[in-house]
Amino acid sequence: MNKLIQAMTETRELFTVAFLVVLFLGTGLVNPSFLSLDNILLCLNGSVIYILLAIGVSFVIIAGDIDVSVGATLGLTAAVCASMIRDGSSLLAASITALTIGAAIGLVNGLGVTKLRIPAIIMTLGVNGVVRGSIYVYTQGKWVENLPAVFKSYGQITLAGFVNLFLLITVLIVTGIHFYLNRANKGKYFAAIGDNVGGATLIGIPVDRTRIIAFVLCGIFAALAGIVFASKIGFVTPTAGSGYEMKAIAACVLGGVSLTGGVGSVVGAMFGAVIMSSISRILVFLQFSSNWDNTITGILLIIIVVADALIQKFFKEKARRERLAARDLKIESILKDTGGESR
Amino acid sequence: MSSSNNDGARIPAISIKGICKSFASNVVLRGVDLEVYEGDVVALIGGNGAGKSTLMKIIMGIHQPDGGEIEIFGKRVNLSSPSAALANGIYLVPQEPMLFPNMTVEENIVLGFREKRSALHLRLTALVENLGWDLKLDRKADSLSIAEQQLVEILRGLLRDSKILILDEPTSALTFHEIESLFRIVTDLQSNGISIFYITHRLTEVFDIANRVVILRDGQITMEGPVGQFDQEMLIQGLLPPNYQRAAKKEKLCKDFSCADLRPVFEVQNLCGYGFTDISFKVFPGEILGLAGVVGAGRTEFAVAVFGKDIIKSGSVILDGEDITGRKSSVIIEKGLTYVPEDRHLNGIYSIIDVEANVTSGVLEQLNKYFIDKKKANALTDKYIENFRIKVTGRDQLVSSLSGGNQQKVVLAKALAANPKIVILDEPTRGIDAGARGDVYRIIHELKEEGVAVLLISSDIEEIVELSDRVATMYQGRVNHTFQGDCITVDHLMAAAFGVYQEEVTA
Repeated sequence: MNKLIQAMTETRELFTVAFLVVLFLGTGLVNPSFLSLDNILLCLNGSVIYILLAIGVSFVIIAGDIDVSVGATLGLTAAVCASMIRDGSSLLAASITALTIGAAIGLVNGLGVTKLRIPAIIMTLGVNGVVRGSIYVYTQGKWVENLPAVFKSYGQITLAGFVNLFLLITVLIVTGIHFYLNRANKGKYFAAIGDNVGGATLIGIPVDRTRIIAFVLCGIFAALAGIVFASKIGFVTPTAGSGYEMKAIAACVLGGVSLTGGVGSVVGAMFGAVIMSSISRILVFLQFSSNWDNTITGILLIIIVVADALIQKFFKEKARRERLAARDLKIESILKDTGGESR
Repeated sequence: MSSSNNDGARIPAISIKGICKSFASNVVLRGVDLEVYEGDVVALIGGNGAGKSTLMKIIMGIHQPDGGEIEIFGKRVNLSSPSAALANGIYLVPQEPMLFPNMTVEENIVLGFREKRSALHLRLTALVENLGWDLKLDRKADSLSIAEQQLVEILRGLLRDSKILILDEPTSALTFHEIESLFRIVTDLQSNGISIFYITHRLTEVFDIANRVVILRDGQITMEGPVGQFDQEMLIQGLLPPNYQRAAKKEKLCKDFSCADLRPVFEVQNLCGYGFTDISFKVFPGEILGLAGVVGAGRTEFAVAVFGKDIIKSGSVILDGEDITGRKSSVIIEKGLTYVPEDRHLNGIYSIIDVEANVTSGVLEQLNKYFIDKKKANALTDKYIENFRIKVTGRDQLVSSLSGGNQQKVVLAKALAANPKIVILDEPTRGIDAGARGDVYRIIHELKEEGVAVLLISSDIEEIVELSDRVATMYQGRVNHTFQGDCITVDHLMAAAFGVYQEEVTA
């Protein structure tokens, strides 16, 4: 049993991939058309926005914090980017503006959490409200539509006949980040802080700076998701992206990123995002109402988090016991070995 | 680095001058001067709260001193952060290893370096090979034993070319053989010219490993010198209060406890659990049994397990003739045992509500069945405010706005409102002022007169001596000695708590 739990915690990404395969095969058993190449490509293409959000959020969660403002950040950056392009700006100018806004929101989150010591959930929840509200102010509550066809077509570009450009870029980004987090000297800082803040301080890791960077990256990726959103959907409503934060967090957790910090990878988060974005499609193929989508996402999130917490608690308690038991053992050996001395 | 070696061996590796530090009104260090040379192993000993850890944290840059300065190899340094200390070749191996449990050994060690991974890997494998340690670098840190974790911590320090290593109670969680290998390593490092601060509670270790001894008491160095000039008696002497006259050793052996024919209200038999082993003793009504020992001796673990908050492996707890082993805490309180925990902020008070709600929180069921009987609650609260001389503006004052001493009285009131037969007090006077301390002592004496048994856990040995009728000392998870009557003296208890008490001390 211990071995099983240990194996499960060590190969969390594999577990996610296995879950994804089982889910797809299971749906295919009920409705074979789900497993057609076209449909699977649709599932993957449809997950790009979630993957981008999940990448950003996983930085923050791995460093031991949380960010629930990504949905609103996505909405605002999508609205800004779309309206600029509608009004004739270049894609480059619009993208840079959107990414800057995303980074600024992340910076605010990061400063609030580290310098003002506001709990991350409260800080980002507040920022979420502010940003969501500013979308309404910015758009005056109207939809941003009538986007140029060229901009909308970016989302449809495919390479070699079937590989979506956005998906390809996203997968490359994930690979790059995965490599950075695991190989670069500073890449491990995020996980180190989430794993043991005290230890990280003691070996001279700049804790506050790294946490702020995580939030900024999270904002930038949310903005990237916003640009993709505007291009793929073709219009932006003031409610764009609301509820996406839960999906992004659930995707991370499903992908093996521990909410207590320190554990997880962006690759896992990517597969988690694919599962999350496919749920509504799977429901349709199973002839359920897709209204169940959010409910199922929430239930999955809770089940995984609770299971994770129980596993962590189990190991923590085990470690504590072993530590205290080591003391007992030692005394016995001392009594044996130096029994003569204390006479 | 090498140039300073050539300047002459007598430039101290680290020189500490007049370091002072207080936290709020609590003075922890009162001007500490200390010089440590290359290759010194300095045993730093002192009771709880003597300031050892604070001094080391200042050297490590975790705390900033209020006054004084530190020189490393003759150069004045400003240790404003742990990274500054690391850059100056200082490394602290904390008592509880601070590893990243989800990373491998190698990742744990090389984290925070700017060098290339491949270069670091080469240096690290060479270092491990050089030391002859059998430590697999690809293991995950959470699979390591405590000893192995400590080795990882030491490797971290060595890979940084640290010249000054601080080992904070490194043997407190090690087995005997692990201690042996640690000593070998320390000797090894010493011959390589590394200076080591060795904090310990075990006086025997001092003679095994150190070449110099520094005794810290009340934020000051009371004794210092080469280890050869000391023996255990002298170390104990250095730990005692300055104006303390050693009691003339009593000729008579401790007599049998006079209450032996009474029925004990509380008894533990061969109790084993996590952190304590084979504990047996009895407490009689109206008796104060002191439980002395150093931090980590297993006293709190024992109390928490008795109170039903942790697993008891074997043995039994008997309260007033009834076996309460492994019962739930709520049942145990109802049967008449109350535990007042050591950290009142964490476990003792509800700080955001008023005094009355705190005092009555343990006995709400007795006040009425569905709604709280306000009159009874008021009367109960008034009684304790008056008896305990709790300084409040009224029953409705928030507990968070009280001073530490008054908070502690509220905690006691809460515990005693349940009318216990026995109370376990864990460090009841930690962090409170002298006046409040006197009141707490008075409350404990009143309890005794009412026939309540008291199990007093305290690291303040003078407090134990003053209050206790009988004393059991715990050392490394076991009761190693019991004392009664005239045998309860500060030096006996101190020796027993440090594990060096000898039964037949000649007068």
